[in-house]
Amino acid sequence: MDKKLNAKDLINIGIFTALYFAIVFIVAFVGYIPIMMVIMPALCALIGGIPFMLFLTRARKFGMVTIMGTLLGLLTFLLGRPWLSILFGVVAGLVADLYLKGSDYLSIKKAPLSCGIFSLWIVGMALPMFFGFRDAYFESLRPGYGDAYVDALSKLTPSWMFWVLIVTIFLGGLLGGFLGAKILKKHFVKAGMA
Amino acid sequence: MQFFQYGNEGYKSILDPRTKLLLLVVINVVIIGTGFTGTDFLLRIVCAAIPLVLFVIIRRYRTALLYGLVCLVMFFGEAVLIPCTTGTINLLIVITLGPFSRILVGYAFAYYMMCSTTVSEFVTALKQMRVPDQISIPLSVMFRFFPTLAEESHAIRDAMRLRGIRLTGKNGGLLKQIEYEVVPLMMSTLRIGDELSAASLTKGLNPGKPRTHICRVKMELWDWALVALSLGFLIYMLVLR
Repeated sequence: MDKKLNAKDLINIGIFTALYFAIVFIVAFVGYIPIMMVIMPALCALIGGIPFMLFLTRARKFGMVTIMGTLLGLLTFLLGRPWLSILFGVVAGLVADLYLKGSDYLSIKKAPLSCGIFSLWIVGMALPMFFGFRDAYFESLRPGYGDAYVDALSKLTPSWMFWVLIVTIFLGGLLGGFLGAKILKKHFVKAGMA
Repeated sequence: MQFFQYGNEGYKSILDPRTKLLLLVVINVVIIGTGFTGTDFLLRIVCAAIPLVLFVIIRRYRTALLYGLVCLVMFFGEAVLIPCTTGTINLLIVITLGPFSRILVGYAFAYYMMCSTTVSEFVTALKQMRVPDQISIPLSVMFRFFPTLAEESHAIRDAMRLRGIRLTGKNGGLLKQIEYEVVPLMMSTLRIGDELSAASLTKGLNPGKPRTHICRVKMELWDWALVALSLGFLIYMLVLR
């Protein structure tokens, strides 16, 4: 099999990234309620696992998952997050890709775990709330969102929350992977599409 | 639908796609990062006005009107309502206005970008920025695909309503709802992907090979003016504040 990416692969990456992003984006709207902010990223990863698993049935070459991660990082950057979020996308995609390469992209057992790894790009979206960005971000929210909202949000997100987020996102992605595998089996394998 | 079409219909996009990309980033940085007082607020208004003017230029009067009205309500809420309320009411207003005031302007601009840029222009501009094909092809396909997705999911939702599938009731349940909506969407995504690849194969799209095109992409006076403006914004956001 030809190992180089051809036009068909690139187009598949494009449409699946669009599908994935659209779904994650709709789920992310839940996060505007402060308490939901904590579980929103995991929820995104969970639902996003479904299209991602379908994408994996089309990804048989090294690089496709990496490019998808890069594009997602690029999108988050275009929508005003710190540029570091691109890095998260690239690295998460690359690691997931390398992991899948170990089984030549054929093992369905490895797919959910790679889905969990890949989901970590979402960390880039939550980045403004932590580390050096934290104070500036909350200060910028304060005049607009009001003290009540900001206090609620900052109480919910102490800095150790960052690591909790990573774990919950990973678990969410893992579960999403299993969910996706189940849905694939139920709907797509039967129809001969996966 | 007129998004991201292959041919220009009647109007000429006056901005270069590269300017649009830069503006998109800068507008989002400003809108997400600024408060509602003094210079900050002025900056917000300027940023909000940019998509409005651009909508008028590409003759999308209805979109412009709608966008303008929502913006007015939004700014009224930000400038007047939020400072003078406290407690629960304040939180409520913030939660309803928050999503709008943070993302509306950026997404309006993204929408403008999609309506006013042809795929050919976009790819050519990316090429001139030396973006490799492995990124530029998926990126342009992606932008092209968002409107299609909206159309498809609209049709799916119609079909669901026709069969009486709702959040509550006999066939209800949130998880079921998600399954009923996402699965058909994924099915049509697969099909459209196959068709799109066949079409582009016919057109001779091949990564790594030079492509021929007739569209002209050039930075004009307007572009440089907007680039200067957005650089000014960036300096203000990153250095002066």
